[in-house]
Amino acid sequence: MILSDLIHKKVLDAEGTVVGNLVDVRFVIDGAPGQLLASARLHGIIVSRGTASTFLGYERNSANSPFILAKFLEWRHRGSFLVRWRDIAMIDDAVHLRASFQRLSPNLPQNRS
Amino acid sequence: MKKLLGLALGILTAIGGFLDIGDLVTNGVVGSRFGLTLGWVVLVGVVGICLFAQMSGRVAAVSGRATFEIIRERLGARASMANLGASFIVNLMTLTAEIGGIALSLQLASSISPMLWMPVAAVAVWIVVWRVKFSIMENVTGLLGLTLIVFAVAVFLLHPNWLDLGSQLLGQAPKQSSESPATYWYYAIALFGAAMTPYEVFFFSSGAVEEKWTVKDLAQSRMNVLVGFPLGGILSIAIAACATIVLLPKNIAVTSLSEIALPIAQAGGKIALIIVLLGFVAATFGAALETTLSSGYTLAQYFGWSWGKFRRPARAARFHLTMIIALIIGLAVLATGVDPIAVTEFSVVFSAIALPLTYLPILIVANDPQYMGKFVNGKATNFFGMIYLVIILVASLAAIPLMIVTGAGA
Amino acid sequence: MSDTDYPEETYAGRVLDADLHLFDRQVLDVDGEPAFAVDDIEISDVPIGLPLDPAAPAPVIESLLSGPVLATRTFGGRPPSSRLERIPWRHVSDIGTALTLGIHSDELDATWTERWVRDRIIGRIPGGRHDPE
Repeated sequence: MILSDLIHKKVLDAEGTVVGNLVDVRFVIDGAPGQLLASARLHGIIVSRGTASTFLGYERNSANSPFILAKFLEWRHRGSFLVRWRDIAMIDDAVHLRASFQRLSPNLPQNRS
Repeated sequence: MKKLLGLALGILTAIGGFLDIGDLVTNGVVGSRFGLTLGWVVLVGVVGICLFAQMSGRVAAVSGRATFEIIRERLGARASMANLGASFIVNLMTLTAEIGGIALSLQLASSISPMLWMPVAAVAVWIVVWRVKFSIMENVTGLLGLTLIVFAVAVFLLHPNWLDLGSQLLGQAPKQSSESPATYWYYAIALFGAAMTPYEVFFFSSGAVEEKWTVKDLAQSRMNVLVGFPLGGILSIAIAACATIVLLPKNIAVTSLSEIALPIAQAGGKIALIIVLLGFVAATFGAALETTLSSGYTLAQYFGWSWGKFRRPARAARFHLTMIIALIIGLAVLATGVDPIAVTEFSVVFSAIALPLTYLPILIVANDPQYMGKFVNGKATNFFGMIYLVIILVASLAAIPLMIVTGAGA
Repeated sequence: MSDTDYPEETYAGRVLDADLHLFDRQVLDVDGEPAFAVDDIEISDVPIGLPLDPAAPAPVIESLLSGPVLATRTFGGRPPSSRLERIPWRHVSDIGTALTLGIHSDELDATWTERWVRDRIIGRIPGGRHDPE
């Protein structure tokens, strides 16, 4: 499966209501060690309620200047969240989440405040 | 001592390398039509290019990534493809103008038709790009370009009415000038685009990678830019001042390089004329090299190809092929008989239009600690960075309407 | 960062967001020579239109993709799977402002255009295989 096919898909909850757009896919390098780097396991998806596109990497990032620009881009991405892979029920033209899915903070670990 | 020499060399190269055909023509045209009333734009442009070049150089030195790699990574494949298209075409226009400028300069020196000089110029540019080391190329053209200081000397030799020039700098329109506000602002944007050309940034950041800058070189690069570019800007104003003193009162329009050199001949005779022609050739040749390299830099960095003059051509094959094709296209455009001066006048305006596309990603990455660590922009840089973002956006958006309203400044 | 406080996630290794950290990045070979840019990423297959087994292992990155896939990512459509230029993930040795490979770029199928231009054009011009002076 090719990732750009997954990105931009609509994300629906168990009732079929749109909860946002899939804007990114999060991997964790904790799998079986390969030749040089451990394998990258799909951890979850980043869902954005606002815009369908990520923009310039401001979201999920500690970059916060120039201040006005950062605020504007944050506002465009207000309320994005992470959903774990095991909370995904099915993928077709959209991504269907399980009834029990949990919304997690999309922040990258080193940037926690 | 060696360090001091290196610093002096860097600054002198920055001064000589600042001026290109766009600065020569635009400042000449503006001086002959508006006097020094647009001098403030050169100031705005110089501060802008200092800010911009300093940021992109710092990003390249710290992260090892040149400008178009950053643009691709930040804007994504699709938006950066549009950006690449626009930047590449504007750069190609500038390249065409510079090759034409070399030919026009050599015509002034030899009275052989520029049509014959164009292929010679293009081949010469290619040979330097193909074989000559980056640092030698940059220093030789930069130092020879310093001969344009003759414009500053000529201003004094022409014994102008300093009071008039001074009041024009402060915004008082000269008596002989009767231009509309729309034309005034159109040329303000042209002058801004001439000072802040995107290729300078592609070249500057890629050059930092070519010369393997590290964090240790940041202080020197900042000095080169902060001292060299403003002095280059003073030369720009000197070109406009010469045109103001000699051409404006006689209503002589600048339609070729010979009018721009006319005040020099009047002030300093034959010797001064020879010096200024040398300066024209050096400035246009240097900029032709920079734009040719920039065509390769932008395309290779977008697609992730191997690039750089520090590699042998076979180790950066597609990069070198791109530059050969760009030179051939430039020559083909010139072969249609189009006036290089007209190409120049359009290229500076299109530079201003395309500028936000390059500027915004650099401003953002210069603030990203994942790229920059502790070398992110300081508060002052960001303050000016945001002011310039607004200026650049306004100039870019106003350019096309003004071009239509004024009939491209006619 | 967001207006709602969602619980923080914990991770057992280095975290990479595909669009943020991998897509469109420059890839360097073992000698630091630019090889290609990450045009897309292929992960292990996920059944489409079928319920996913929560106990099944999550997909992993199989390859970086480069070349024709860029055109389709930009303009739409899809190259056939056989025409994808794949660079297996196991060759990736480091991820920073660029990705680094553990092998030489000439060993990759994806850089055939570079070799084609080198062998047919640039390498044949005098001086093309020498260092600049």
